[in-house]
Amino acid sequence: MNEFVERQMKLTWRPPKKSYDVVIVGAGGHGLATAYYLATRHGITNVAVFERGYIGGGNSGRNTTIIRANYGIPAAVRFYQRSVDLYRGLEEETDRWLMHQQKGILWMAHSEGAVRAERMRAKLNTEFGAQTEFVGPQQVKELCPQLDMSGGGRWPVLGASYHPQGATARHDRVVWALAEGAMERGAHVHQNTPVDGLILDGERVAGVRTAAGDVAAGAVVSAVGGHVSRIAAMAGLRLPIRTHRLQAFVTNHYRQQFGPIVASSELFFYASQTARGEMLLGAEIDPQPSFSYRSSHDFVQDVCRRALCLLPFMSNLRVLRQWTGVCDMSPDYSPIMGQTGVEGFYLTTGWGTWGFKAIPAGGEQMAALIATGEVPELIAPFGLDRFARDRTMADRGSAGTH
Amino acid sequence: MSLRIPCPTCGDRSVHEFVHGEIRCVPDHLTDPDERDLDFAFHHDNEEGVVTERWFHAQGCRRWLEILRDTTTDRILEAEES
Amino acid sequence: MATFLVDGQRVEARAGDTLLVAMLRTGVHPTGGGCLCMGGDCPNCLVTVDGIAYTRSCQARATAGMKVTRDHLGGEEPALLSDEPMPAGNAAPVRHVHCDTVVIGQGDSGREAAREARDADLDVVTLDARDGQHVTGVYPGPLVVASDQAGRVLHVHPRREIVVATGAAEIQPVVPGSDLEGLVTARAAAGLVAAGIDLGRAVALGESPAGLPADSLVAHFPVGEGGWELVRFEGNGRIEAAVVRRHGDATEERIECDTAVLGLGGNPRNALARMASDLPVRVVGGAAMEPELPACPREGTVCPCSRVTVADLDGVWKRGFHEMELLKRATLAGTGTCQGGVCLPYLRSFLLERGGRLQPAFTARPLNRQLTVRELAAGAHTAVTARSPLHDEHLSLGARMDRAGGWWRPWTYGRKDDEYRSVRERVSLGDVSSLGKMAISGPDAEAFLERIVPTKVATIRPGRCRYVLMLDERGYLLDDGMLCREADEDAGDRFFLTSTSGGSGFFELWLRDWAEAFGCDVRILNQTASLAAINITGPQAARLLARAGARELPAFGRHRATPIAGVDCRVVRLSFTGELSYELHHPAADARKLWRRLLAAGAEFSVQPHGLETLLRLRLEKGHIVIGQDTDYDSTPRRLAHEWAVNLNKGDFVGRQAILRTNKQPLDKRLVTLRADDPPPRRTAEDPSAEGAAIHDGERYAGYVTSDAGTAAGGGRPMLGWLYLDAEGNLPREVTVDGRAARRIDGATYDPEGERARAVVDTASESPENVREFPLARPEATDLAIEAPPGPPRFRQLEATRVSATPAALDALIAEPPWPAGALAFRTAPDELLVTASPDFEVAGDPHAIVERETAFSYVWLGEATVERFLDRECEWRRPDARPALAQGEIAGIPAKLWFEAGRTLILTPAPFAAAFQRRLTGSLAEIDGVAG
Repeated sequence: MNEFVERQMKLTWRPPKKSYDVVIVGAGGHGLATAYYLATRHGITNVAVFERGYIGGGNSGRNTTIIRANYGIPAAVRFYQRSVDLYRGLEEETDRWLMHQQKGILWMAHSEGAVRAERMRAKLNTEFGAQTEFVGPQQVKELCPQLDMSGGGRWPVLGASYHPQGATARHDRVVWALAEGAMERGAHVHQNTPVDGLILDGERVAGVRTAAGDVAAGAVVSAVGGHVSRIAAMAGLRLPIRTHRLQAFVTNHYRQQFGPIVASSELFFYASQTARGEMLLGAEIDPQPSFSYRSSHDFVQDVCRRALCLLPFMSNLRVLRQWTGVCDMSPDYSPIMGQTGVEGFYLTTGWGTWGFKAIPAGGEQMAALIATGEVPELIAPFGLDRFARDRTMADRGSAGTH
Repeated sequence: MSLRIPCPTCGDRSVHEFVHGEIRCVPDHLTDPDERDLDFAFHHDNEEGVVTERWFHAQGCRRWLEILRDTTTDRILEAEES
Repeated sequence: MATFLVDGQRVEARAGDTLLVAMLRTGVHPTGGGCLCMGGDCPNCLVTVDGIAYTRSCQARATAGMKVTRDHLGGEEPALLSDEPMPAGNAAPVRHVHCDTVVIGQGDSGREAAREARDADLDVVTLDARDGQHVTGVYPGPLVVASDQAGRVLHVHPRREIVVATGAAEIQPVVPGSDLEGLVTARAAAGLVAAGIDLGRAVALGESPAGLPADSLVAHFPVGEGGWELVRFEGNGRIEAAVVRRHGDATEERIECDTAVLGLGGNPRNALARMASDLPVRVVGGAAMEPELPACPREGTVCPCSRVTVADLDGVWKRGFHEMELLKRATLAGTGTCQGGVCLPYLRSFLLERGGRLQPAFTARPLNRQLTVRELAAGAHTAVTARSPLHDEHLSLGARMDRAGGWWRPWTYGRKDDEYRSVRERVSLGDVSSLGKMAISGPDAEAFLERIVPTKVATIRPGRCRYVLMLDERGYLLDDGMLCREADEDAGDRFFLTSTSGGSGFFELWLRDWAEAFGCDVRILNQTASLAAINITGPQAARLLARAGARELPAFGRHRATPIAGVDCRVVRLSFTGELSYELHHPAADARKLWRRLLAAGAEFSVQPHGLETLLRLRLEKGHIVIGQDTDYDSTPRRLAHEWAVNLNKGDFVGRQAILRTNKQPLDKRLVTLRADDPPPRRTAEDPSAEGAAIHDGERYAGYVTSDAGTAAGGGRPMLGWLYLDAEGNLPREVTVDGRAARRIDGATYDPEGERARAVVDTASESPENVREFPLARPEATDLAIEAPPGPPRFRQLEATRVSATPAALDALIAEPPWPAGALAFRTAPDELLVTASPDFEVAGDPHAIVERETAFSYVWLGEATVERFLDRECEWRRPDARPALAQGEIAGIPAKLWFEAGRTLILTPAPFAAAFQRRLTGSLAEIDGVAG
């Protein structure tokens, strides 16, 4: 029997109603997590999630599945650590196999400046509840024997920060488990139903226009990835968001165990091994704002070249497939969550290249906001109004690879 | 190769030889100077469609050029030196 | 005849055999079962060849000595913890080919398309799997990437069209027993018979197989459209019988056989076309056919790659996974090597039957043929790191070089405490050649600068310099530098602006962007590579310079042009270290000479150089910020306590409105200087620095340390850090770092009054017999050496003249050139000219022109044959056909200018990249010679 076939999860589809208490636009991880936590933590189940394609078909189905909290500013460390903790308990909570594997993440330093940055990361993380320590070359090699510590002769590894709680999980299964958990408590999810307008009642957002008709809502949450500017414009909002492509690729499976997640800012790539043994690689965003899902050759070419500097064993692995997602980049490399200034309209966006790891905490916190009307402390620093208030969440630990 | 930018001095080159530059435009309906400045500093059209944008040919002539590109397909419509 | 090994056993291959055919001749099935297509469409022939797993044996030509193992889930296990050397992480060699049309597939329709294109006088490239050319993808560019038999990777750049003539794949069976040995598709059967392999008792199921003599078949059942249904195959490992029945009839017919030949319909191989949907692609022949859907599968393995059965599909369907992508992701069908080659038609047919809707095929994505990481890396290079002209000097002095801000910098020369003392107590040299440097002139030069820096430029008098901030439109600090106004008033407004090393790459881009945005008439010349810079710093600095022949040295905050040690220098008097300092900007060609002469002149002062680590410590004692270390993305002048560098009362400048806007918000944090008194915050020996450590104000987390050298000097141990204001809006005075007391101070821990840096110096007091005379070396007017020296090609410094002037003035200059006839003139931009000669000349048409004789570039001549082979590997863009011609762009990952002449080509690159380019050139040529033919 093929162990990887999903045998438990059940997705329940129902016809859309004319109104709901909460309408969420976008059935990706963040949208479904919001519905899930509304149902499980607040008993709010008169909820619909509208999705223009299939659930998890956007960035939630295209990311490189990294979970970590080793960020560069206190508010981010706290927030992502919350998500790391929620992820750790998610399999038990949903009683579903998510292929969650805690494996640690090594962030390489190839220069004195990078050593300094990784030492700083370790100190800041530890201060705010994420365990990270700086380790020397010998320990790095022990944690990841496949590493060429000379960096191909050009990029020697002087050390690394090590964050043991770094983990991976199967992105699809996270999406489905959250969907199932919401659906079985009464929330609706409607695939193939794009939202093409917002219904305004004066200044207030009172519902959505969909291909299946108008739907009234007490609150509307935009959880879309890649087309958020369009939705925001429907509410008269301009956003500090630029959408860029982000690519990734996967190899055939590698028979040895590749322990940790390995990342290098200076070599601009990161790598991890999936539960099926494949090597999954990602790097930085494409330089131009774009909504095209086309994969490029120079991406796979450049990342293969750089990966060979540190991981020469990959030489003979075959690349199976490459793909692209479109990421909503914010000016400070931090997400945007919460109220929008337009009554009845909430936003969770700016997830850039750091969205997958935040799915549980993002959903939990947005649900709390919608349910209670109070902005939770954990996400207050990430409000949309921070740019006007000159309180950006500029996170050096966020930029680079994700 | 991915996106190919047509530099008027040097010819078609890979996008990775260039640095992208956005052309910002503050909407007319904003009148307050602080609101206009905030919009100019942070907000983007993030247009799905044909945009005018600039590219600096860092690996070549080291000058700026302006093109029209469809952001949904990455097809470039025309080039002129800015 | 070639002999190779399969699981250690010798196998003979005839000429032209694929690995699969050679194995089947010996009765060995590569994967132990499953239908063989011999078309590269399924995973049933995968083997490991010479350590590379997932290799299709039907596509691989058998060569002598190959080691094949039939564990296609395996592969050689690399040595993990052993003394064996690491495998080299090398990329495969690449070959760039430019053409008009590329035709993928050379069956009938492909050959026809190629013929048509040739008849139209187009330059055509053809690729075919039977020639060992496997196309991995059609990419934007457009670009077609394929591996070839010689172990290279082809990058084909078609100018006009891509023709996909890849034919159609044959649908494979999905019934119980379809994983037995002895199943082949119709085309595979024909291929095997042609290779002399006996099929035994063969039964044809489906369409009548072409290429097989009718008398070789024991039976033919037209399953599918013909009214028959395939039920199952029976056998134990190998097929013994096929079982069929008529549609609607329960009675089964069992036919004993040795081989089942399947003709179940075709599936166009159009993935390459679908992944390239809006590129100029045309599909012809079998690849353009309409896909045929097989009957809905009832039972059996649907996806052999991921081992997914019909029951698995049913299971997830029943639980709500109805979309194609959800079905695929929930079962992993279609996610293996063949990427749906076998299973996709069945998945569509399954979904049609269950859901009533024909769903489209998976989105076509690269890779169509799965190349290895090594092959995909072909043609790529890692980022290049720039070198100062003094790089080798540092190495010879024992420096450990480190990458910082895109440059190789000497981190230390081995004894950092000695380096520190040499600066504070005597005199020391620092190489700051990596600083960004720009010459700016023009009628709008001052107006332009006034709009992009927050200081009042108008008050910088000739011969003076001033520290300037460079802000972005958000009011955040981008970079900082020194702005000098030239002393020569006759020259009009001319300025010299420096930036940090890390900012040097961005500097020109930024200046030109704003100059164009504001419509300023300016000339900008990037002198980062053409000028080197040495910092002479320490209490004896002036004496050393006097010894080296300096007559007059500028006072603090001034600059002057004066020869030192026989080298023309612009001497800028500022201080980053806190000691008396002179920054000598001079032609890069003279850097080594100047450096050595300064070391010699300073021998009596025990002069020695200092590295970056020491520099960071020295400046910290003065509280000077380092961009990117002490500053963040959102560091306003107010947050940095640098409002003194901002004049809000002058006209508009970039970031001014943002500063006014953000000043209305309460301040949240400030960059401060902290001093830890005895005892300093506790740190470990491995990590003596407190950088990153938390700052606490009582219980409250109040920030973190950004700079700490881990050492104390007389004035206590200084640190820089971000400190958050408290709830009342106050900045605490007493804090703790890592639990130890520290106090916020205003000013520096070292020489807070700045007396040492601002010391008044009188060089006239230096006694003449101590002063050394150096001959002033002015290079003679040179022409570019016509003959390249013998031996392997090496980059050398180009002595040239660069001119920044209006296009019209440059046109006039070129029309009547003031340089010798043999010199070459390159119009690298409409407003910039590079001439390989250095006579003195003026640009008559533009009084603001900047003319610099310099060596910003290095060059090498390559013969035509060599350059063609080199560029075929390292240049992905189309070269000009005309001769002579100038072309600019990236070669081997490095910016280059090429001058093509008949018979030879000149390659220029910025001098800081010459060493890296040399290495890539030498390496490439060596590999080319190794792979000759």
